[in-house]
Amino acid sequence: MMATKPSFNFEPAPDLPGADRVSKYGFGAVRKFVERMWDIEIEGIENVPLEGPGIITPNHLSFSDSIFVPTALPRRVWAIGKGEYMDDWKTKHIFPAMGMIPVDRSGGDAAQRALDTAARVLDGGHLFMIYPEGTRSRSGNLHKGRTGAARLAIRCNAPIIPVGHEGTLEIQPPDSVMLKPFKTCSVRFGRQMRAEEFGDPNDPRVLRLFTDAVMFEVAKLSGQTYVDTYAGAPTRPAAETKKGPAVSVPKGRQIDLR
Amino acid sequence: MNLASVIVGHPGERAALIDGDRTVTYGELRASVAAIQQRIVEAGFGPDDRIVLAAGNEPLFAAGAFAIMAAGATVVPINPFSPVLELKRKLETVDPSLILVGEEGHWIIGDPDAPRTPMIDMTTLKPSDVQPEIVARHDDDIAFMLLTSGVSGDSKVAMLSHKNLDWIQESITGPEGLNRDDVTLGSLPFAHIFGLNAVLLTSLRLGAKVVLQRRFDVDESLRLIRLHKVTSLTGAPPMWQRWATADAPDDSLQSIKHATSGAAFLPIDTYTAIKERYGVEIGEGYGLTETSPVVTWSRGVDIKPTSVGKPLAGVEVVLVEADGTPVDEGDTGEIVVRSPGVFKGYLDAPEITSQVLTEDGWFWTGDVGVFDSDGYLYLVDRVKDLIIVSGFNVYPADVENVIMEHPDVRGAVVVGTPHGMTGEAVVAHVSGDVSEQDLDAFVRMRLAGYKCPSKYLFVDELPIAPTGKLIRRELR
Repeated sequence: MMATKPSFNFEPAPDLPGADRVSKYGFGAVRKFVERMWDIEIEGIENVPLEGPGIITPNHLSFSDSIFVPTALPRRVWAIGKGEYMDDWKTKHIFPAMGMIPVDRSGGDAAQRALDTAARVLDGGHLFMIYPEGTRSRSGNLHKGRTGAARLAIRCNAPIIPVGHEGTLEIQPPDSVMLKPFKTCSVRFGRQMRAEEFGDPNDPRVLRLFTDAVMFEVAKLSGQTYVDTYAGAPTRPAAETKKGPAVSVPKGRQIDLR
Repeated sequence: MNLASVIVGHPGERAALIDGDRTVTYGELRASVAAIQQRIVEAGFGPDDRIVLAAGNEPLFAAGAFAIMAAGATVVPINPFSPVLELKRKLETVDPSLILVGEEGHWIIGDPDAPRTPMIDMTTLKPSDVQPEIVARHDDDIAFMLLTSGVSGDSKVAMLSHKNLDWIQESITGPEGLNRDDVTLGSLPFAHIFGLNAVLLTSLRLGAKVVLQRRFDVDESLRLIRLHKVTSLTGAPPMWQRWATADAPDDSLQSIKHATSGAAFLPIDTYTAIKERYGVEIGEGYGLTETSPVVTWSRGVDIKPTSVGKPLAGVEVVLVEADGTPVDEGDTGEIVVRSPGVFKGYLDAPEITSQVLTEDGWFWTGDVGVFDSDGYLYLVDRVKDLIIVSGFNVYPADVENVIMEHPDVRGAVVVGTPHGMTGEAVVAHVSGDVSEQDLDAFVRMRLAGYKCPSKYLFVDELPIAPTGKLIRRELR
């Protein structure tokens, strides 16, 4: 179902360092450029709240997802990005313009700082985007969601808006720097989901139930096959070592391949 | 060390066991142990023999167990209330050299279907003043072989060493745990690890008093609790449910200082009912036969309802994915445990052992859990019961809880069934006075599409084991 796209709202940025590196006119120019170069088909836009907080959770296939999903939204959206993006000429202008807040990912409390920054965005009544798979899917399948989005939704009492998109891989194939122009991608927004639908938000079991339900919606919207394993290599070496080494697997254990 | 030595030093006149009107002191218990041990040795049995203990929650269970260990042999307790044919099947797995018979197991003597193994009738033995020497044992020598409850289907015999049991006993005693002045109620079956090590053996190690109840009866248990001022009450959820609704005064549990539930999931309604009615907070614990049994407990910490508490000091608990990678902090995963309480493997079943136990001592429990930010463990479900629909995990408990919320449903069990399109599909077995359409509409409003049962089967009664666990395999 195609709905009429509401007029774009260039809302003031949250009060965070690096959150407002672009003027309304610069931002408008970038959006216009993207809309001219590529055909973005949008579905379910009515599911995106026009005010107040909301967590946008798309599948992740290509770097260009961070251009096309925000462009499909009727409001500005913010996201956490690696501090290193600010050192690279290819990304230092476009990513912040698209709403990236750079967060230094080194150090043991990096994950907590990223989460706190995200919470400030949401508590300010803004949209926040997070890829629940944590990293790009190399297999093309939709991988198990990390529970960060659900955690944020509970902490900030915000809805999650699942997003599934197709076509960004054709626009930017893996390991390609350049985007291929004049191609089409589809961005589909699903119904708003809240933690309370899955039980008492204080019950730690709800995080996984909620996350799986969100991923189920993302899979329906993106058309991907779901696999119940985390995507890719560890994205945060510091956090990975904190979890401890892998536990040995019993030799005779049969992996259930149902 | 030989675990039989733990009762040696207690004062002889101190009460060990209360059995109806009779009090058995530690002195009398030791005299009974001595007589049984002498008889075992005279009959030519000793180190590494497997000796079946056919007794209920009676003094001869304790005496028989200590006598078998003192002789250096291995105790194989069996529930004497099992049907004889089931008992026979179990005995064939264990292949014991001798059977010790107590009062509750006395019917075995002379039963035409009973096995032809030599037997000693403990009820006829006179106490002895002469304590034979306790045979020295290594830490890793097997003290007990326990038949696992069989909820998972295939019956297995778990081997627990002297050290396994000793370490858990030591870990659950002290300021936060059981003490010498505690009085425990022994109504959980002693042939099961929970009643055996967490109640009976640990109490006797301390020189504490155990009030025996041979068969659970709610009114009688409350009378015993009041009469003997029981301080530590340990039960399985069905027992707590009975206590919650018992026809008894609201001060019936006033002597209780510690209330513990284990063996199965404790419904929050039961926890609340006990708390509101008796002012007693039930702390849940988690453990398995293979872990002797305690993994987590709620003593020494603030109780969080529906959580099974925190890991016992010295028990490593990690939540992992199928390949052994620890899950993200706060995410769910299979509970994997390492501790000196982890068992030595299943009897004569190296392949089955190798499916759950690694060479470096990690035991894969087959249970799925999640830690909250304060380090409390919450159980989710069994890995084996997991239903996979289009790649997504469906935990039966999650679906069952929603179905059970319907006011006209009495019970529900959810299982998976092969499905051409989605791999598996969800099937719900329900007892209650509700139409399929009503229930389906109710469930669809509360669960994601892939979790909704594709089929409802209405049954009069659901298969439930004595521990309160649902027996899913009977419905697959």
